[in-house]
Amino acid sequence: MLDVGRHPNVNILAYSEVESLKGDIGNFTATVRKKARYVDEDICNACGDCLVKCPVKKIPDDFDMGLKNRKAVYQYFSQGIPAVMTIDPDNCIYLKKGKCGVCKTKCVKGAIDYEQKDKILELDVGAVIVATGLDVFDPTPLTQYGYGKMKNVITGLEYERLINATGPTGGNLLRPSDGEMAHKVAYVQCVGSRDFNYCNYCSSVCCMYAIKDAMLGREHEPDSESYIFHTDFRNVGKWFQKYEIRGKEEYGINYIRGRVADITEDENQNPILWYEDTETREVKSLNVEMAVLSTAAMAAKGSSELAKKLGVNLSEHGFVAAGLPYPSDTNVPGIFACGFCIGPADIPESVAQASAAANRAAEVVFLGEKKKTA
Amino acid sequence: MENKLKDVLIIGGGIAGIQAALDLGDMGIKVHLVERKPSIGGIMAQLDKTFPTNDCSI
Repeated sequence: MLDVGRHPNVNILAYSEVESLKGDIGNFTATVRKKARYVDEDICNACGDCLVKCPVKKIPDDFDMGLKNRKAVYQYFSQGIPAVMTIDPDNCIYLKKGKCGVCKTKCVKGAIDYEQKDKILELDVGAVIVATGLDVFDPTPLTQYGYGKMKNVITGLEYERLINATGPTGGNLLRPSDGEMAHKVAYVQCVGSRDFNYCNYCSSVCCMYAIKDAMLGREHEPDSESYIFHTDFRNVGKWFQKYEIRGKEEYGINYIRGRVADITEDENQNPILWYEDTETREVKSLNVEMAVLSTAAMAAKGSSELAKKLGVNLSEHGFVAAGLPYPSDTNVPGIFACGFCIGPADIPESVAQASAAANRAAEVVFLGEKKKTA
Repeated sequence: MENKLKDVLIIGGGIAGIQAALDLGDMGIKVHLVERKPSIGGIMAQLDKTFPTNDCSI
């Protein structure tokens, strides 16, 4: 991330969206809307003086999955690139009512600019790479798991923020209900994935991230217990099988083959998981202190609208249809795709696909129109 | 010759977009990396460690 931020050939347009794309392979014109941050990016150094006195304090922090609140002027995350603050126009009192202006008085560099407007940029490009990634499935419709109703039932990404040293609890695995350390944690696999009602495919990363999450939990609290309820492990990748075995042998994670049918709660808000142990064919229950739902991952919100603007076809699950004749080619010559936007992929696979897409785009740029892609 | 090379537009500043930008940038091609969130990094930036090596993600 730092490397790309410093790279002389990379122009980062964060807080921006592509409005339209015209033209043909080798000669596209993209219209990009650079949204107003109300902060001058060239002046701001993200010192944070502006947010100290901001009176708007209770906005759920998107980056921390709403587990923490942020202010109306904020930095998306502490190591974020570009390292600048942003004012949220939906919540800033000055931008809504014309009164307040505290952040402007606190900024010694004079970077706050309430008059800033969205900028429309026209970019001439030879090729386009779509890498819009994923959004996680919201498990609220799966009412049997009680997400949203039971405080100690959380999603995998919420867990990631809890266990992260820069997260809302400073890396301590504290239960949302009472702030106590969670010592007995269950991980529920295939929440929304491999489910005909929601995501009728395997999200491919959840088995591995659940094992990782359980390992991290054990590293933080060596006397804790971890249980992973899986449909069947799908750890396909280099060193993945070894990782699964390590989880069991080195970290003592309990793997239970069986899909959780229902989650109820006891009087102390401890989740109780009801499941069929498919190895013994018995219906059992397990009382834990926190349950983590390994939610499905799906094509990012807004990616279908983007695909329409680009003229790119989607596959049945809303992913960008790529793969013929080269893995990163879409139906439009000159537009390539990589990463989770073309289908479930973990980080190593996304990186490999990205290099493939970059090479295809480079062919267009270096060879011009002489080499048509399709 | 160098000046006549066309730029490349990358939509999405997560790990895939970043890797593609670095590869193209290293080849001497100018890249515009568009991200809708206020910072690049995507989902990976939200993760603590990554499998299968348990390395830090940032």
